[in-house]
Amino acid sequence: MSLSRPGDAVAFRVADHLAGKEPWEVFGERIRRYEIHLSGDKIEMTRGPITLEGYGIRVFRRRDGATGVGYQASNDFSPEGIATAEEDAERAARYALFPTAKLDLPTGRGATGGVVEVLDRGLWEYPMDTLESYVAALRAAFQGRKQFALSFGSVRATLSNTSISNSAGLRTGYGHTTVDLEVGVKAFGGPEGPAPGEYWLNDSERRSRPAELGVRVAEWCRYAEDVRRGKPPPTGEVSVVLPPPVLAGILPVVFGGRFTGSAQLRRVAPQPGMKLGAELATVYDDGRIPWAPMSSGVDDEGVPQRRRTLLDHGVVSELLFDTLHAGAFDARSTGSGFRAFSSGFRTWHRFMQPPTVSTSTIVLAPGEGGTDAELVEAAHEGIWIQQIGWSAPDPLTGAFGGEIRLGYRIRDGKLAESIRGGTVGGIALAAEGSPSLMTRLEAVGSRAAFSELVSSPPVLVRSLSVGGEQ
Amino acid sequence: MIIPADPSPMRTPMGELSDAEGHLYDSVGRLAERGPFVEVLAEAATGLSAHYDGHTTTFQTPSRIRGAVFRAWTGTGWTEVSVSGLDAPSLRFAEGMIERVLSHRPAHDSPPGVSSTARLEKVTPTARPMRDMAEEEMGTLARDVFSWTTGVPDIHETQVQISWRQDERLYLNSAAARCLQGICRVRGAVLPVAMENGRVESDRFVHGGVGGREVLDALTPENARKAAESARDLLRAKAPPAGKLPVLLSPSLTGYFAHESFGHGAEADQFVRNRSYLQPMLGQVLAPEILTIVDNGAYPGAWSEIYCDDEGHPAQRTVLVDHGRFTGALHDRDTAAALGTLPTGNTRRSDFLSRAYVRMTNTYVEPGESSFDELVQEARNGVLLESGSAGIEDPQGGQIQIKARKGHLIENGKVTDLVSSMALSGRVLEFLTLIRGVSGKQDFALDTGACGKGRTDLLPNSAGGPYLLSSAVVGRA
Repeated sequence: MSLSRPGDAVAFRVADHLAGKEPWEVFGERIRRYEIHLSGDKIEMTRGPITLEGYGIRVFRRRDGATGVGYQASNDFSPEGIATAEEDAERAARYALFPTAKLDLPTGRGATGGVVEVLDRGLWEYPMDTLESYVAALRAAFQGRKQFALSFGSVRATLSNTSISNSAGLRTGYGHTTVDLEVGVKAFGGPEGPAPGEYWLNDSERRSRPAELGVRVAEWCRYAEDVRRGKPPPTGEVSVVLPPPVLAGILPVVFGGRFTGSAQLRRVAPQPGMKLGAELATVYDDGRIPWAPMSSGVDDEGVPQRRRTLLDHGVVSELLFDTLHAGAFDARSTGSGFRAFSSGFRTWHRFMQPPTVSTSTIVLAPGEGGTDAELVEAAHEGIWIQQIGWSAPDPLTGAFGGEIRLGYRIRDGKLAESIRGGTVGGIALAAEGSPSLMTRLEAVGSRAAFSELVSSPPVLVRSLSVGGEQ
Repeated sequence: MIIPADPSPMRTPMGELSDAEGHLYDSVGRLAERGPFVEVLAEAATGLSAHYDGHTTTFQTPSRIRGAVFRAWTGTGWTEVSVSGLDAPSLRFAEGMIERVLSHRPAHDSPPGVSSTARLEKVTPTARPMRDMAEEEMGTLARDVFSWTTGVPDIHETQVQISWRQDERLYLNSAAARCLQGICRVRGAVLPVAMENGRVESDRFVHGGVGGREVLDALTPENARKAAESARDLLRAKAPPAGKLPVLLSPSLTGYFAHESFGHGAEADQFVRNRSYLQPMLGQVLAPEILTIVDNGAYPGAWSEIYCDDEGHPAQRTVLVDHGRFTGALHDRDTAAALGTLPTGNTRRSDFLSRAYVRMTNTYVEPGESSFDELVQEARNGVLLESGSAGIEDPQGGQIQIKARKGHLIENGKVTDLVSSMALSGRVLEFLTLIRGVSGKQDFALDTGACGKGRTDLLPNSAGGPYLLSSAVVGRA
């Protein structure tokens, strides 16, 4: 989507006022946000429009064979305010140093990146109406479910106009939308039996899809009931099946921590040709998948996004670069310069942070493991992990794991009773020859699904450490 | 590397809120004629952060973002509008949006709860203000800290981060409250990374608090080297044990326990939502007498010290568990009204763009009387968990998850082998009954961290305590 009034784009307006020397870059955003908060199934608070217009100025100053990089964000659009932000960036650049003298900023030509669908037009035009319809559908999906209820929830719609301009002549921009959903679903059961259980989920999508809530709510209710009845697992090394929601909490952080130019600068990146995964582990980074949260035509520096192969049948293929790290290694940017990724998605005041090299959507290529049932059958005995409290993977060591919020025993090739409690964990990505989640992949399912920053089928991992009560 | 001197002083946005106060006051006054209650919170920040890792040097100041959020009572609920600007047109826009809502819903009834009438003005006291520490000095300190770790064998790299941020907030309401606070948070972090045959391990030393340059005095050669030696030793650490064991929590982990169990579990908005397993147990004895848990926004110098909350109520010390008895909860004005009590100064917004929630400040276990050695002997065979890295609550289900970067085995009443990262899981109520000891004030420490309400709305939080002995499930993570 093009900007409705390109000449009025935030970055272009600021760029027109820049008086300093080159090279420079301006990243701008005009953001509207709308929120509905629920307490139980009652609307607790409606917020919006929450408006924010801001920009970040980045300057690059060559010094002693390196580059001083300075950045300043501001929401002051007066000529004096822009001049102050520019002076702040210049001041930071005088003290900062990045080890490259080479800088290849994207130019205007070819930098639109083509169209990638990331804008929900209904939401863009009628944000609060769309949000209210979504919440109405959510509440309606609980009608008649006597033993289930919403315990709380929030739906937040963010509508952003992003614009990027630089001293190499780039002027590009696009609009995009995001819907963030958080809900707690409670299962009561009867007066006897276990206490209420809750299935608590967070999700982020590019569009509002209320029609799918009926099916999803039915699934969430089943999960809440299974949480309620779940018991801790036995202790041991067991086979586990990890579906996309669990992989979404692990893979982006560990691949983002090691498969990047910044990791290479720190000498912790794997070298192309190293064997870090099983033969059936092929992993891409793809920033052009329609409707994915990290997709867009261009990255946050204005470089077109594309698909990058990180692991090819278990072998390291390529690393990700933004413009600065590309300069340090005489490489080209892979369109992987993103802002404000570390604390979540890039939907909300990205302009406050300078870009750093990061993953977009991690794609684990489907394999020949078949359906979910066939994966369970292949596991024979083990655990299906549906939700981990917080995997909290370490981007450097690759260690991940946490409490099992919901899982299922696999007995004799079939899903059995639910699990609640205990721990599961291991190393996601380890040195060549060391055991890890990626090297112990025994089967990869055949049907991929999206979950936040990951597109993947479920995978069967032979042997992860489980801590339980027995 | 030589950093050129810069004679120009750092600019500061101090006074920007004061400059806007007249407009804010006028807006509140006009809106007060349209409805029973209105409040505004305006925010601006300044600061500087430095990062050095031997390859790159980065300096960054906080965004020059300022703005305000207006909240008004409509008679049936709250409405609020945020604007990113403190100039008169921006404030008039927000005022107009609120006016529009109030004109459709003429309000007669007052909002629930107690409106603050506090009048307070406070800026972090320090003899050594951070704004006097220019880029050159900060860069020199970062490189010194870096150099203290490089002599340790197998240290592959070290990240050094030094930062300060002064968050300024002005709160006004139609009940005549006025709270102007400037809180300066200072933090230093050393993160050495050890590497051998492709295996990577890291540890860290982090120290932060509200204050000035004195907070950074903890960045000593000894503390930096200890973190580096710990990272190196982790290269040879064993895998942690798995199963249900006696667990001895370090002060950092004890803080995670306090935060994730009675911190989140006692945020009273979860009571109102009927989402806290703890609510029906208010007033009951849930733990041995040695356990006292407190949330204290007024703790001097702690990372999450505040002078008043974002509804204008002064920060205070709230006892959540008093010698084993569950006695208190954390409230904003709405939850206090709903449950027939008073606000506790725990209403916080991440920033002027975010909604207010009931939030923790500095949450900790009060010291007991045991010594560390006595707790190790009492544990007999178990695991000592150290260096907390993550935690997550479960207000409905009453479970808890805490992660530790490292630990040590406890065998036959002695601390023995180093073990690598692990997770603790358990039911809080059971964990409480299994508490067998809390160490004394000589071990007490508070961490620096951030906490979200769910996955969003991060803000500074602190947690801590002394050593605490109980039993729980642990496993590799």
